Amino acid sequence: MENLNVYAVRLLTQKEYFAPGHRSCQGCAEALAVRLIAKALGRNAIVVQATGCMEIVASPLPFTSWEVPWIHVAFETAASVASGIEAGLKALMRKGRLPKKRVTVLGMGGDGATNDIGIMALSGALERGHDFVYICTDNEAYMNTGIQRSSGTPFGASTTTSPAGRVIPGQITWKKNMAAIAAAHNIPYVATACPSYPLDLVDKVKKAAGTKGPAYVHILSVCPTGWRSPTEMSIRLGRLAAETGVFPLYEIVNGRYRLTIDFPKLRPIRDYFKYQGRFRHLTDEMTEQIEERVHREYQALKDKCQ
Amino acid sequence: MVELTVDGQAVGAEKGKMLLPICLDAGFDIPHLCYNESVRPYGACRLCLVEVRKNGRGRMTTSCTYPVIEGIEVLTQTEKVLRARRLVIELILAMCPGDEEIQEMAREMGVEDVRFEKEEKDCILCGLCGRVCEEVVGANAIHFANKGSNREMIPPFAGEATDCIACGACVTVCPVNVIGMREESDERTIIRWKRTLKMKKCKVCGNYFAPWFQLEKFRQQAGLPTDFFDTCYSCRE
Repeated sequence: MENLNVYAVRLLTQKEYFAPGHRSCQGCAEALAVRLIAKALGRNAIVVQATGCMEIVASPLPFTSWEVPWIHVAFETAASVASGIEAGLKALMRKGRLPKKRVTVLGMGGDGATNDIGIMALSGALERGHDFVYICTDNEAYMNTGIQRSSGTPFGASTTTSPAGRVIPGQITWKKNMAAIAAAHNIPYVATACPSYPLDLVDKVKKAAGTKGPAYVHILSVCPTGWRSPTEMSIRLGRLAAETGVFPLYEIVNGRYRLTIDFPKLRPIRDYFKYQGRFRHLTDEMTEQIEERVHREYQALKDKCQ
Repeated sequence: MVELTVDGQAVGAEKGKMLLPICLDAGFDIPHLCYNESVRPYGACRLCLVEVRKNGRGRMTTSCTYPVIEGIEVLTQTEKVLRARRLVIELILAMCPGDEEIQEMAREMGVEDVRFEKEEKDCILCGLCGRVCEEVVGANAIHFANKGSNREMIPPFAGEATDCIACGACVTVCPVNVIGMREESDERTIIRWKRTLKMKKCKVCGNYFAPWFQLEKFRQQAGLPTDFFDTCYSCRE
């Protein structure tokens, strides 16, 4: 799927459900991801959004970019409100107060809202088996409040609350593997995606929406502001994240793993780091250590795909 | 702008636009298989039937090929329309009993059983792949052949599709997913059109990124230097 981006992308719907004119930064890949998600879901969707970049930029009162029903809820409650909406829709359709049709309920949050603050509500909703989709748009820190570290921040990245210096070399913990946590709930569909591979992303979101039961999609969204990278590099950085093995793109359908994009040979991780100011301070030795662990984890994932 | 009513609700629409996209945009569910906004409407699947009333007279028509006019009254959910759609999906299901997408659609529309003789086809003859190949890709690698019940979508003389650039647009657009694509090491195969193309290897990273034949065609079309496609997009400076 990933290499079909010549003509196949022109066949996506031309209607925009996430309108332009929002206030995201230049080069924001997260806005691109959200636009593709909205296109993939179409108009029969209800979006529940936790606090985060995409809520801030898309809904400065009295404007909104959303052309589908959209509700903003507190940081930790996106998953619980989504499950409530799903239950409500089910009840109303059963009683005949609403016509019976497929409505996708989408819970959405950033890495902070998903990995840190909302993980309890998300875990509950996944375990209860609500028929909804949860999408985490992961830009690897609390970007809209000023780049504070989250549990999604990768090892070695310098943020305002994990500043690289004499004491620590940036973030000192490894990135939390949220997709694996979601998969541990034994839900029917888990996937990782990246807007640099648009067809792959649209395909996975569509699959998630078509799944009966909970589905979780983890999307890496390059953030030039927080990653200290040139704005025109966003798409390339997303590709490099996949090609270096830092963010492998895979899906888990009913417990069966599949790498949707596999590379015969992984690129050296230096290619990915060199464009990002947040990794500027890393020594060669540390880069090698990170690379070794990334390769080990990639191999472990590949073994699961057999 | 023209004004019309759909199921009693007033809807404004741009003149000359087809009825189906307008109804879908306004939130009315109309089943359809052969429609894609990137190509010209074709009216092959007949599932998007609606009743259009004008000057007190009504008739049934496919909404994807009906340009809107001022003052028409469109009914999308009458018993007559639903009955006609059920017959259409039953006929499609009889033609392609194995397609899961069609089975699902038929179930949703309330068709459980097929009263007609079943065939063993998998293609519903919506023509989307051929139209996309012609209008979007411009390769014209596949087309309809024969007439009536023998009609089928095939490469020239049912051999290899020699004009196919293996872009995969038909694979993604097919509503019943019967075209199929396979990528194995340095080869990409579009299974239904029996087209296998060698993939180009990036000089820098060593990954296969697109078929040779396709890249060569692009290079000639755009007048690019011979070494332009030696590297993949991620490696190109």
